[in-house]
Amino acid sequence: MDLGLLQALERERVLEVLRRDKQLRTIEEDRIRRMKYELQELRRRGAKSFARQYGERTCARCQRPLGKFWNSGAVCHSCSHRICSKCRVGVGAAGWKCTVCHAYREVKFKSGDWFLEEKAKKFPVTTDKYEMVGDRLLKTYHVLSHISVVPPTPPPHLDYQFLSRSGDLKNSKPFTKSMEDLMVSFTSHIKKISTSQNDVRGDLLRVNNSRRGSCYSTQKSLSETDINKSSNLFKGPSLPNLFKKSKDSDQEGSSTGAEEETSCGSEYSGGKRGSSSSSISTDCGPFESISITGELELALAYNTNTSCLEITVGACRNLNYGDTRRKKCHPCVKLYMLPGKSGKMKTTVKKNTTDPVYNEVLKYHVERHLLFGKRLRATVWHSGTLKRKVFLGEVLVPLDGWRFKDKDSQRFNWYPLCQKAESPEGGAVEQDGGELLVRVKLSSNNQGV
Amino acid sequence: MTDGDYDYLIKLLALGDSGVGKTTFLYRYTDNKFNPKFITTVGIDFREKRVVYTASNPNGATTGKTFKVHLQLWDTAGQERFRSLTTAFFRDAMGFLLMFDLTSQQSFLNVRNWMSQLQANAYCENPDIVLIGNKADLADQREVQEKQAKELADKYGIPYFETSAATGAEVDKAVLTLLDLVMKRMEQCVDKPPAEPANGNGATKLADAQPNEKKCAC
Repeated sequence: MDLGLLQALERERVLEVLRRDKQLRTIEEDRIRRMKYELQELRRRGAKSFARQYGERTCARCQRPLGKFWNSGAVCHSCSHRICSKCRVGVGAAGWKCTVCHAYREVKFKSGDWFLEEKAKKFPVTTDKYEMVGDRLLKTYHVLSHISVVPPTPPPHLDYQFLSRSGDLKNSKPFTKSMEDLMVSFTSHIKKISTSQNDVRGDLLRVNNSRRGSCYSTQKSLSETDINKSSNLFKGPSLPNLFKKSKDSDQEGSSTGAEEETSCGSEYSGGKRGSSSSSISTDCGPFESISITGELELALAYNTNTSCLEITVGACRNLNYGDTRRKKCHPCVKLYMLPGKSGKMKTTVKKNTTDPVYNEVLKYHVERHLLFGKRLRATVWHSGTLKRKVFLGEVLVPLDGWRFKDKDSQRFNWYPLCQKAESPEGGAVEQDGGELLVRVKLSSNNQGV
Repeated sequence: MTDGDYDYLIKLLALGDSGVGKTTFLYRYTDNKFNPKFITTVGIDFREKRVVYTASNPNGATTGKTFKVHLQLWDTAGQERFRSLTTAFFRDAMGFLLMFDLTSQQSFLNVRNWMSQLQANAYCENPDIVLIGNKADLADQREVQEKQAKELADKYGIPYFETSAATGAEVDKAVLTLLDLVMKRMEQCVDKPPAEPANGNGATKLADAQPNEKKCAC
């Protein structure tokens, strides 16, 4: 039997197995992501929040008050919070954990994290495993630009005789450490068993081995930068569409007339200038006291393929006239992601109607996990003459708890329009919603008292 | 075929000399069929099976909790020339089916070598292993006595099973015992994080074979 032929077949066989493994792992990764997402949700719900009183005398999970003698709670050994008897889950023979710590433990089991941790003790993981995606992207991109050995487009990889067969593998982003190791050993293995390699290939393989990390990350980066590119491409043409009138929307924030200033609301100034007390707009009340009426129809869906939050703006009904004197209304809908100022998008302006129908899909490119803690703010504006904008109402939709998988939640819903959500401090706090736990320690030495 | 509807993904790996019956053993376990033909495994392969695992507390009584476990059973080539490839896979497996052929004394003698391979390449110094003597149905060709094998298993502190892929005897039991060990290990590792660092440290080694020693090196 021809040895060379056999080896080609063998390679094919092994790579086929690895492809199957990759499939399984993709499913597994998806499952783990789901699990961790749920854990995060549970954590958020159970977290001590600064809005509530942070006291010893409440259960850290359900926030119910704890009694002095009866149901006084006990400290969870994992998180050191005081927990009421209802928020405990038995673990082992006599021990217990609070609901969150228990869920955390379960996830550690079910995700196989325990195994990875164990393995890391024996085979220390390279740091990049815990690196953030963004960092890695940057780094790999950096590496890519410096490596001339590896051409920047995928097809030339066909030179790698055996790697070329792993078309799927190559495009796989989560090239795990083990897979890398395997490939390396596989490479060296093939090197060992096939003596009839031509020099060029031997060189390539050597490069592959010596530049192990960089080489693989290059391959990774290839796929990732491809994705990046494609997302840029996607963003490219769509941006002008979405921000056709980006000029006016920019002007909103720093508009000239006082009217606009107020109509744009305190959130802008709050967002731009922080919580500075000198903010003008917060001091002004709503200038044109247009009463808020009507509803806005929205549908939200998350497209995992394109990593896009797709917000379909259906219609509005029973809007008030933006121009009360002339009984005119040219409404349009703007979308923002809160907190932050990113992802400003807007529909077209419908002329002379208080019941505009849009049916426009606005896509917000965001990784699924980055939706945690985010809210969608949809505002309706009357687009008056001379680019004057009049606020017609807004809707805030929290995105964390959103069940994107749920078919019901993907349907259109009518949301009643509200006044601008303003906290007494003037919006800034509201916008940058988050948590900060501060401990203040007074050191008398430093104070010199 | 697979979906994400399971609670645990457990990866086990079968290893041992060429021809001891790793592939047929796994084929019997996953498909409950027997293929008497010898087809040498090329490098690596894996089979999958979904099982329901019933959790039990340390006393052995079932807690009634059941989990869906997706088993990924790696099959490795026993042939020497694939060695560097197969051993690379050891580190990704959570438990090991170390097999030898009851009709081949040599395959039994090599168990020791496989153990040291595991020690070097598995995810920790003393992973969960079950020792399996396969081809128990070929009683007339038997070369390894049960007592012998049992002694070796005891020395390593691991369970021993005599199985037959041809008849299916003890096949399920061997795999499920290993699964049980892995599930218990999981709890040990998570619940006692840095509790016993002295125990791990490489002091307790497989080769030292301290029988019935507490196993977790975490």
